[in-house]
Amino acid sequence: MMIERQNRRQRVLIITLIIICVLLVTVYSRESKDGLFHRLQRFSMDVISPLQKGMSKILSPVKDGIGFVVDMGRARGERDSLKEQVEELKGQVDELEDLRRQNEMLRKMVQVKESNPQFDLLVVDVIGGNPDIWEQTIQIGAGYDDGLQEYMAVLSEDGSLVGRVIVCTAKASIVQLITDEKSSIGARLQQNAEMGIVKGEGGGGVKLELLNQDAEVNEGDVVLTSGMGGTCPAGIPIGTITEISERRADLSIGIRIEPRARLTRLEKVMVVLSPPPSAAPIEAKGGN
Amino acid sequence: MHRRLTFFVVLMLALLVQLTVAPEVSIGSVKPDVLLVTILCWALFQGPAQGALFGFFGGLLEDIFSTAVLGVSAFAKTLLGYFCGEFQQRIISKSVVWPMIIVFCGSILGELIRFATWAMVGLENRPPFSLGLVMGFALYNALFTLLVYPIISRFAAREEKAMMFQ
Repeated sequence: MMIERQNRRQRVLIITLIIICVLLVTVYSRESKDGLFHRLQRFSMDVISPLQKGMSKILSPVKDGIGFVVDMGRARGERDSLKEQVEELKGQVDELEDLRRQNEMLRKMVQVKESNPQFDLLVVDVIGGNPDIWEQTIQIGAGYDDGLQEYMAVLSEDGSLVGRVIVCTAKASIVQLITDEKSSIGARLQQNAEMGIVKGEGGGGVKLELLNQDAEVNEGDVVLTSGMGGTCPAGIPIGTITEISERRADLSIGIRIEPRARLTRLEKVMVVLSPPPSAAPIEAKGGN
Repeated sequence: MHRRLTFFVVLMLALLVQLTVAPEVSIGSVKPDVLLVTILCWALFQGPAQGALFGFFGGLLEDIFSTAVLGVSAFAKTLLGYFCGEFQQRIISKSVVWPMIIVFCGSILGELIRFATWAMVGLENRPPFSLGLVMGFALYNALFTLLVYPIISRFAAREEKAMMFQ
């Protein structure tokens, strides 16, 4: 009986309180900004604001502490995000650097094309090297379909001799580098037009064998293609003489050449489509 | 008389803390509702009638000391205080985990009631509902229960002792 009465009283209480709340909400919503409740709110805020100000000052270290902890969390998140951005930007920088390099290379190639109007040059991508350590060759991404044929001369981005096409398929070709032991190309000295043959030594070296053993030759002399043999057009730079050794037993002198083309860093090359080769190359023979 | 005094003291303390301390310990835009935590803890010790009364007066004072629509907080907190008091008779455990769970759920419910009331009143410029914000708010309140619950428990024990001597 007692509990029932208590329950009833509770129910009455809650209903009364809810009705009061609803009435308050209704009256407040309908009254103007200068109504009683609005003014009461403004007055209360005036009363409490000094207290809030004081408490704000007292609790500022706590606030700072919380801010610090929150900032730490945020900073960690920002750090991770920045790290990701840095990685992304690094990738973009690498990409841009690559593009810049390619652009520079193509610009050089255009210059070579413009300064050699007698040549019909085709820019081709280098698509691979030779896995065989005994052969100094590269594979390029053009073949018969693109107008290539065997023995055509191949130039680097700056117009220096790289080598010669030795195998040609429909879509790809193999270029024998001037450093290959089987490579031999007719050459002449720029200074005095003394003729000779440039032969590969394998392992990155190139030597010059002069026809006239008494010809005047000096270190730093530039070696060009002679056009003899009919494979490479005349006047293409091959390299610079870096070493002249003493006369050997056969009275010949050993002349080493530093190839001008950077043969280990080829990305694009130019194939001389015209004038086309008129004969098969001179076969290199072993021995010094 | 003693009970009314305790009621008044706890209510005023909670209101003061809510108005002055809570904004200072906000994390981002989430600040604790110390008053709500106190109301729910009070209701857990004193039952539904006391819970409803505490909720009503606490909410009303909060409304008066803010620019919110008068009566909305009072309405939400009255309902929460009442139903939380009803829970008191069903919970036997003395662990603080239960009050934390109740405060967590009560905080979410309170915000839903508040939004529903605003919608019913047709309040313009009401903020967009953010579940993340409400969850953060409920979690912060639940953590605050660890501080508030033992204090209310002490007040309740003192009051019980006073009643026994009477």
